[in-house]
Amino acid sequence: MAKGSLHRLRNGWAVQVRVIHALMIRELITRFGRENIGFLWIMAEPLLFAGLVGLVWHFTHGPTEHGVGVIAFVATGYIPITLFRHGVSRSVSVFTVNQSLLYHRQIKIVDFILSRFIIEFLGGMMAYLFMAVVLIGFDEFPIPANIGLLIAGWLLYASFCFSLCLIIAPLSEVSDAMEKFIPVTTYIMIPFSGLFYMVSWVTPQAREFLLFSPFVNGMEMMRKGIWGDQVTAYYSVWNPIICSAVATVIGLILCRRIRRRLTVE
Amino acid sequence: MIICSDISKSYSHGGRRKQVLNAVNLAIDRGDRVGLLGRNGAGKSTLIKLIGGVELPTSGKIIRTMSVSWPLGFAGGFQGSLTGLDNARFIARIYQREYADIRRFVEDFTELGKQLNMPVKTYSSGMRARLAFALSLAIEFDCYLIDEIILVGDQNFQRKCHAEMFDKRKDRSIILASHSPEFVKDMCNKAILIDKGEAVIYEDVGQALDIYSNL
Repeated sequence: MAKGSLHRLRNGWAVQVRVIHALMIRELITRFGRENIGFLWIMAEPLLFAGLVGLVWHFTHGPTEHGVGVIAFVATGYIPITLFRHGVSRSVSVFTVNQSLLYHRQIKIVDFILSRFIIEFLGGMMAYLFMAVVLIGFDEFPIPANIGLLIAGWLLYASFCFSLCLIIAPLSEVSDAMEKFIPVTTYIMIPFSGLFYMVSWVTPQAREFLLFSPFVNGMEMMRKGIWGDQVTAYYSVWNPIICSAVATVIGLILCRRIRRRLTVE
Repeated sequence: MIICSDISKSYSHGGRRKQVLNAVNLAIDRGDRVGLLGRNGAGKSTLIKLIGGVELPTSGKIIRTMSVSWPLGFAGGFQGSLTGLDNARFIARIYQREYADIRRFVEDFTELGKQLNMPVKTYSSGMRARLAFALSLAIEFDCYLIDEIILVGDQNFQRKCHAEMFDKRKDRSIILASHSPEFVKDMCNKAILIDKGEAVIYEDVGQALDIYSNL
């Protein structure tokens, strides 16, 4: 019996991997087509965003801030926030948009969210890498002091983004009002994302408050991983882990409930 | 075998509820060819969608011990902005089939030629029907769920469907939503009649057709 269910689990896993793979390819073709640079466009937007805002800051705030290069600092902040904003906006109404695919039973609604998120995630990572290599070439970006910490921070940040997507996708199907609030909410989120500051730059009271945000914890880890001893970072690994776990559970429950009520044309 | 045990389906919208199916119990065996009869809006498509797993029942359970196709109709199953061949590739991937085999069959069956490289949204409904049919035949399901209107293609398509579905694949099950008494009489060995949310299965197709014509 146990062997049977293990076999089933492995089988189901293989099916889901295949489905997500197919969905990702489909998404890439529909979004970027096969012309010119094709799917490489996924890193274009985060790069442009990070690069241009970095340049603006470079001229308005001077080349360094608190001893770190301003272009690199802004870029490391913008790429994660683009992941968050894109992830969220791609999750809105994702079930309705893809409903014709629910004709195939092996495709689950969570696959829609996951495949889109993975694309954003990979795009963000590619942009990060590309930008770092270019900026290192111009001597505007340090060689990361602790790559492991950088990657861990990125993963935690991304996993919290993903768990939010799991909640937003089903909620956006329940009410249209939700959809209207999302742009505002993602905008208000910006100060709590750790984008423009290190927590060590603010007052101790504000610090305590900001560290409730999983984004800030993830961002601090990434920046500590990049600048090492040049910056002081405050973070707890557990905050993003626990927050993502809770949000994931809520999200999966919501997805399951919504699937029952989904009407497919 | 497909077993529907005690399935109900209701839709609610804006505080209003519509009960479409009410405590339906059905069993469909391997090799059964079932005609699904009912007036417009009786719940034929809903039942097909539930059996196909496209929508889930509000209560009750559906057990499938054979592979069941997706509901073949004009809607669903495809991504309109992708080409016919891209859709074929996608389906080959998710059903774990060789794309080359599927492609060969699709090209042969649909006779769509260069159109297969055009987005599906540019297809006529007859062309869509050909593509949907070809793909589901290429995958080889044990049971096919078919909306009859899709079979109303041109002569050549009807002949092909007949040969592939009703002659070559005699051993498969079919659940066919239909408004045509002749078709059900010729093709089916059982009939399900849906009326007022109740679905009853008849071993005798003639009897079901009699009741149906008096609805």
